[in-house]
Amino acid sequence: MKLFAIPVLLLAALASTPAQAKLKVFACEPEWGSLVTELAGDKVDVDVGTSALQDVHQIEAKPSLIAKVRSADLMVCTGAELEVGWLPQLIRQSGNSKVASGQGSFMAAAQVKTLEKPTALDRAYGDVHPDGNPHVQMDPRRVLVIAKALDARLVQLDPANAATYQQRLDSFSKRWLAAMAKWKAEAAPLKGRNVVVHHISWVYLWDWLGMNQIGALEPKPGVPPTSAHLASLIATTKNGGNTLAIVRAAYQDGKPSEWLSDRTGVPAVSLPFTVGGDAQSKDLFGLFDSTIAKLLGAAK
Amino acid sequence: MTLNLEGLDLSILGPACVAGLVVLSTHVPLGKQVLSRGIIFIDLAIAQIAGLGVILAQYLGIDEHGFGVQLAAAAAALAGAGLLSWTDRRWPEYQEPLIGTLFALAATGGLLLLADNPQGGEHLKDLLVGQILWVSYAQLIPAAVLSAVLLAFMWLRGGKLVGLLFYALFALAITASVQLVGVYLVFASLIVPALATAGMKGRSRLVAAYIIGALGYVSGLVLSAVFDLPSGAMIVWTLAGCALLAQAVPAVRRSHPAHETEQAVFDAAA
Repeated sequence: MKLFAIPVLLLAALASTPAQAKLKVFACEPEWGSLVTELAGDKVDVDVGTSALQDVHQIEAKPSLIAKVRSADLMVCTGAELEVGWLPQLIRQSGNSKVASGQGSFMAAAQVKTLEKPTALDRAYGDVHPDGNPHVQMDPRRVLVIAKALDARLVQLDPANAATYQQRLDSFSKRWLAAMAKWKAEAAPLKGRNVVVHHISWVYLWDWLGMNQIGALEPKPGVPPTSAHLASLIATTKNGGNTLAIVRAAYQDGKPSEWLSDRTGVPAVSLPFTVGGDAQSKDLFGLFDSTIAKLLGAAK
Repeated sequence: MTLNLEGLDLSILGPACVAGLVVLSTHVPLGKQVLSRGIIFIDLAIAQIAGLGVILAQYLGIDEHGFGVQLAAAAAALAGAGLLSWTDRRWPEYQEPLIGTLFALAATGGLLLLADNPQGGEHLKDLLVGQILWVSYAQLIPAAVLSAVLLAFMWLRGGKLVGLLFYALFALAITASVQLVGVYLVFASLIVPALATAGMKGRSRLVAAYIIGALGYVSGLVLSAVFDLPSGAMIVWTLAGCALLAQAVPAVRRSHPAHETEQAVFDAAA
């Protein structure tokens, strides 16, 4: 009996110790899940709602998603209407008022200046997001701004670990700034080159790298392009020979960009678009390492 | 695959389960008629026409949220129902291919209209791709009222609906259910329980079909929670699974039509 008594007592003691309640974070997209991990390490539990291989405009509803949002203390999403098709329903079904608004709701796109913000809301111009283009994760400068705001939010919600968050932010900023300098140097040959995109999800990357987007295969999501549009796109792509690549995100169908590539000789490139989009993009650093390497690969 | 017990929560699965039962309440008896008329793709066609109605309404500048959309969807579905009831009288032998053609026309007609209307696509998807987990009890009230009215109608008519009345009621039921649970589940709720009980007759058939449907929804929701899979897709598979399992029950299988025809052929030969 004695042999068992000690382990049993130990187990009982372990079970009865009130576990330090960790801050629970729900991230809508992998890039924000990765950022939370950079900033908080094991001080928080992170759940990520979507993967790099799906279109985050729409998701399949699973019971576990609602359960995760229900128990979350902080929700980190892109905002700017990117998740408008499912996030409101998800929050409503979860009944968690903590993350519906206020401190528990962190929208990354709201922390930075967005591009393509319409000056006047006119539906005639197509797929207009009143808050601008939401895909801010593709600009490392904006990622850093978001990291600082997110860190401040973590400190607010979990002051007990403030020192850890501060120290991890310092470390992340240092490594990120060094990586940015490296990426910028590597990407020097890309500057001024033209790109054609599958869908207009990349403006922040072009803005950072000084590249020009000259056309899009599918200007309106979900609506097949017209033949006139494709004909003019072939002409634009060939024009001047300065077009580097036809770019699509990992989750997008390769057929349209391969089609255009066949007709113009410009290489089609699939970029990870977020953490997990390819084997190399294991975290935010890998995401940009891979993106730059793939664009440089097309330049050869 | 890890088991996921946190999703097994009545407040998460409850509204979805009730939505499933509300949809089943009208779709089981309607499915019986759809099957006997041999027009199984009519629900896809009607849903697509309702979607087209929404796009058209937007095209004409009608408010895209709330009541206007519902009105446009119902009006389009009823117009489609009127058309189909007319073709049913005029060319009954071609009803199934006509339904298929109408489905393709409505779906592609939407694309043609959307070429000029960049945001309509999202609303079309909203309408056709209802997700059962997003259902709230508040949303279920109008659907439940509509179902009760439809059931009362069917009961008053002794379960038999003819001509325009069948098509009109069917159109309204489908327009409501597609928005709640999506087009795959509507199709499965309509066809699978009716098909599984095709050999039975009268009240016992209806009861068996309801039981198969209810078991399919409940087991699908539970499995989707435990295995962390999309609920709508899971339920379609458990509905089919329950329908197959039901064939092991002698009362369900006994008078299967396939056996009947075999018998008849045999008799004729003898």
